[in-house]
Amino acid sequence: MRLAAEGLRLLGAVLLGTVTALLDLVFLLPALPFAGRPAVRAVARRLAVLEARRLRLDPAALGLGTGHSDGRELRYLAARAPVGVLGGLVVTLLALGTEVAVKLVWFWGRGLPIDGMRPTVPLLAYAALGGTVLLFLDLSGMAGVHALERRLALRMLGPDPTEVLRHRIAELAESRAGVVAAVDAERRRIERDLHDGLQQRLVALSMLVGRARRGRPELLEQAHEQAQQALAELREVAWRVYPSGLDSLGLGEALAGVAERSSVPVKIVCELPARPPMAVETVAYFVVSEAVTNAAKHARATAVTVEVRERDTMVVVCVQDDGVGGADAAGGGLSGLARRVAALDGTFTVISPSGGPTTIVAELPCG
Amino acid sequence: MRVILAEDSTLLREGLVRLLLEEGHEVPAAVGDGEALVSAVAAYRPDAVVVDVRMPPTHTDEGLRAALEIRRRWPEVKVLVLSQYVEKKYATELMSANVEGVGYLLKDRVAQVTDFLDALERVGAGGAAFDPEVVRQLLARTSQVDPLAKLTAREREVLERMAQGQTNASIAQALHVSQSAVEKHVNSLFDKLGLSHATGYSRRVLAVLRYLGS
Repeated sequence: MRLAAEGLRLLGAVLLGTVTALLDLVFLLPALPFAGRPAVRAVARRLAVLEARRLRLDPAALGLGTGHSDGRELRYLAARAPVGVLGGLVVTLLALGTEVAVKLVWFWGRGLPIDGMRPTVPLLAYAALGGTVLLFLDLSGMAGVHALERRLALRMLGPDPTEVLRHRIAELAESRAGVVAAVDAERRRIERDLHDGLQQRLVALSMLVGRARRGRPELLEQAHEQAQQALAELREVAWRVYPSGLDSLGLGEALAGVAERSSVPVKIVCELPARPPMAVETVAYFVVSEAVTNAAKHARATAVTVEVRERDTMVVVCVQDDGVGGADAAGGGLSGLARRVAALDGTFTVISPSGGPTTIVAELPCG
Repeated sequence: MRVILAEDSTLLREGLVRLLLEEGHEVPAAVGDGEALVSAVAAYRPDAVVVDVRMPPTHTDEGLRAALEIRRRWPEVKVLVLSQYVEKKYATELMSANVEGVGYLLKDRVAQVTDFLDALERVGAGGAAFDPEVVRQLLARTSQVDPLAKLTAREREVLERMAQGQTNASIAQALHVSQSAVEKHVNSLFDKLGLSHATGYSRRVLAVLRYLGS
């Protein structure tokens, strides 16, 4: 049943292709002298979009969605006209064969001769065998014409495979460099966290102990308190380097930790049917963590909403705050995030008009 | 002594102020960045400044640049620099002119309160104070390995302490030998290293440090 529907659809597509090939020719021949004109190109584009739909190809993927036209469509329409006509011939052969078959059945079924031939067994066998072979050849031809049409469209309208590869290589090189830069920036931040926070605390603590030993024993209590603070600071720094809970507890729990640490109220919605890959979880975590920190530090926000959901095969992270906006996507923290997201082939958008609100969206493909 | 502090960590700055006050020093000002330090020195003309190398805004070498400016504009003000790491470049920049009243300590040395206070006293008295770690690294990095190899273990110890800015008397005390023995070691190592017998205490330190830093 499905095969029959598929066959009919194919027949329809090829037949329609013949009709449009003739229409294309009607448009092309008078329009050729004016091939450079934008109006002509626009019509050619619309025709090419129709062809793509007929061939079940995505017009946007073929680059037909953009406003720019370089005459590719005209060349394609010219090239596909003969193929469309060929399709028409194949369909005509099918029609002729069907007519002969119907005639044979009609006459021989009622015992009448055709061209003086009576339905003998050898003749019947010959007609059935010959007809089947011809039918097979014709159907193959129809499938072939359709495949040829699709290939032609992809080849002439779609991007050049070498160009696609080159683009991809450039993209990868850029994201690789970006990751290295992001990692270096992280390391600098960690070094500063350790030195400007923890080391100062420990030096101050040792100094207190030193003063206590020089005859001020009452300072020991203060020193004890400072030791506790240094430990808390160490925990904070370590957590900023890598949230250990992420591996064991998963993204939802780690994000709840971000909300707890934040000075601004954070509402977290994390709805993932299954745990995404580790790399995706990590990037999602850092996107939220950095965005929440920014909202509290720079945007003077009073509330932050975090949503993590699955869409198709993507994890979509959306962080919105009600702060003053004007976040700089090229700034240190956000550009680092953009690089991390790009390294996973994801997309990263920052919408932050002056006056707010700021929305940060990261789409991370999973597999 | 009247000492001005420049340190960006509030906690540490407060601790240092307390410590110096307990030791009987005066602290007319304690600031958090290089610019404020220079203006505080201009306003109070202290005997000495203690300055952290890494300070806002860039957290690189603001403190050192402020220290060099103070050396240039008010040569009578003694400078004790605290650094996160041993930076040979900083050490050599500081002692480029002379080492009278200059100190270069690792920041962690502050935790050893007595050592820090001794170094501050030495610098305040017009002497030099270089962190043992700085000297050790200069010794390790020195390109003139061969002459150093000619020194006896004792002479090496004396050289290290001399480079830190210690006087013969304190070297003798630390090594439990007589002062004349120390002088003998000093003379013999100066000969071995081909250094002229610099008279004057800080010039001797300078000679040794330059030798090690070359």
